[in-house]
Amino acid sequence: MRRVVVLAAAGAGVSLLAGAAVLLTGDDAPQAARAVPSAPAPEDPLTPDEVRRAGTIASGPSSAQLKAGRVELLYVERDDDKSGDGRRARAYFYDYGDDTVIVRTVDLGRERIARETRGGGTQPPPSPREEIRAAELLLADKKLGKEVRRAYSKAAGRELRSAADLGLRGLVYTQPGGPCATHRCVRLFVRLPDGKFLDTSRLAIDLSAKKVHTLEW
Amino acid sequence: MFLQLALAAFVVAAASVTPLPDAPAPAAAETPPPCGSDHRVDQTLTNGARWQMCWEMRTIEGLTLSRVTYTPKGGVPVSVLRSAALAQIHVPYDSGEPRYHDIGSLGSAVIPLTDGDCPGGERRLDQVCVTTRPRGHAYLKDGFGDPGQRRSLQGRELVMLSAYQVGWYAYVAEFVFGDDGSITPRVGATGSLAGTTTSPEYGWPIGVGRKHFEESHSHNVFWRLDFDIQGKSRDVVEQYDFPGNKTKKRTLEKTVLTRETAARSRPTRWWRVVDPEVRNTDRHPVSWEINNTDTAQYRGPADERFTRADLYVTQYKACERLATYNAEPRCAESVDRYTDGEKVRDPVVWVNVGFHHVPRDEDADPMPVHWQGFRITPRDVTATNPYRAE
Repeated sequence: MRRVVVLAAAGAGVSLLAGAAVLLTGDDAPQAARAVPSAPAPEDPLTPDEVRRAGTIASGPSSAQLKAGRVELLYVERDDDKSGDGRRARAYFYDYGDDTVIVRTVDLGRERIARETRGGGTQPPPSPREEIRAAELLLADKKLGKEVRRAYSKAAGRELRSAADLGLRGLVYTQPGGPCATHRCVRLFVRLPDGKFLDTSRLAIDLSAKKVHTLEW
Repeated sequence: MFLQLALAAFVVAAASVTPLPDAPAPAAAETPPPCGSDHRVDQTLTNGARWQMCWEMRTIEGLTLSRVTYTPKGGVPVSVLRSAALAQIHVPYDSGEPRYHDIGSLGSAVIPLTDGDCPGGERRLDQVCVTTRPRGHAYLKDGFGDPGQRRSLQGRELVMLSAYQVGWYAYVAEFVFGDDGSITPRVGATGSLAGTTTSPEYGWPIGVGRKHFEESHSHNVFWRLDFDIQGKSRDVVEQYDFPGNKTKKRTLEKTVLTRETAARSRPTRWWRVVDPEVRNTDRHPVSWEINNTDTAQYRGPADERFTRADLYVTQYKACERLATYNAEPRCAESVDRYTDGEKVRDPVVWVNVGFHHVPRDEDADPMPVHWQGFRITPRDVTATNPYRAE
């Protein structure tokens, strides 16, 4: 249910990150809860505030595409290049329009994008929103969706309400030669309420083409 | 401060070497620590060795250590690793499919730790356990009848532990820092078996009778280690062999890996990262030795060439982070492709340790941990036994 709330609140990747920052500054977040946050040292992880700021700055050039759902903000990491100086963050985006990855390096001191690299043929891991989208595509598949619902109701003793009920993790999947060579494909781990995993190893969910491939081997 | 002095000395006299002095440099203003207290570890073990480092929980690699510095008992700090992290856990099943890349295909997978996961230690933000534990004998020397001459010491080690959930598997990942100056990265696989059945030639019967054959598989774990011994300049990787099969003699053979190299393990082969200009008080160059003999040496098909070596040496590039599934645009995708003969001026070492897991009845839920890892040991960092003050 929590995931549904996050999903509904997240019109774009930026809001998702903002949501995460709010959660992290709660009572049980020792570092973030300090009244006066001290400036992070060079090797410290990004603070929730830095993650939020980097996400906002990096999203700027893609704001329209983010709103339209064409571009997805995947995650923000500290730039730990040892030859670099100053606080920098790297924001990873996926552009479904041309199946490319965009990485924008944000200079947090100057509050601007210092560098952008873009390219195809590489796939960072899925965001939580993409995991849910992959599960929704699986559930929308007539035959497979029915099987998942049946397995879920057997394990849980009640009907599946939404993809968020499933214990989901998505793994990005690439395969030379097939559609998943260029498309963004995800393999799902689905944990049922009785602790058993669905056998989903042969399924690759193509988020670019919005369909489910059954792998032959 | 010592490092600054050493570097200054190096600039003045480029041909001279940088000795590690016998004792710490006299009091000087300490440089500010590279990380805040939540992410800083500074542990002096009871036998006198001190380890200092920073940690960060990254989305993809998980626990990443940086600025790892070792100070032997009575000695001066020596920086060892600029960074160290897992770079892949490749899990191909014996029937040929599926073949998972557990790092890089999955976002954050860290499991929050409990007190039970961290006996006697300190949980940092519930993500990392920092603890110390006994490691058995540091040494034993008989007194030959004279109790006054009897020598025996128990060793201790610092452990940086984190855990990750990847599907049904849980991984416990440790970086262990010994009071002898050794570093032991290792990964333990636990959690649950996949539970899928296969035919007898690819598995082992784990249910009653011969009904459920659980599939065998490999865990090929890769680590990325950016060694910077007293800074990033001058570090060199050497490979040592001792040829002499079925003969009485073994000769020492040194190969300097001046260019990017994909190397394979052999029973007596080891490597070392050495800074020829940083010397101990015996004037021997300071180095760390890497042993990777405890690997199953999995060799995969043509589209998995990254499995075909046990240790890679590459020139440092910030975008080369993972051994496979490296999701950096305009950068190569796997460690075998990073290794393209470039001259190595600042080496990064990638260690590949394979374990072939044939399931057994004992692996029933929750599956007992099976470990795999390798050892990094100091070679001539101190001029004498590290437990004796220099």
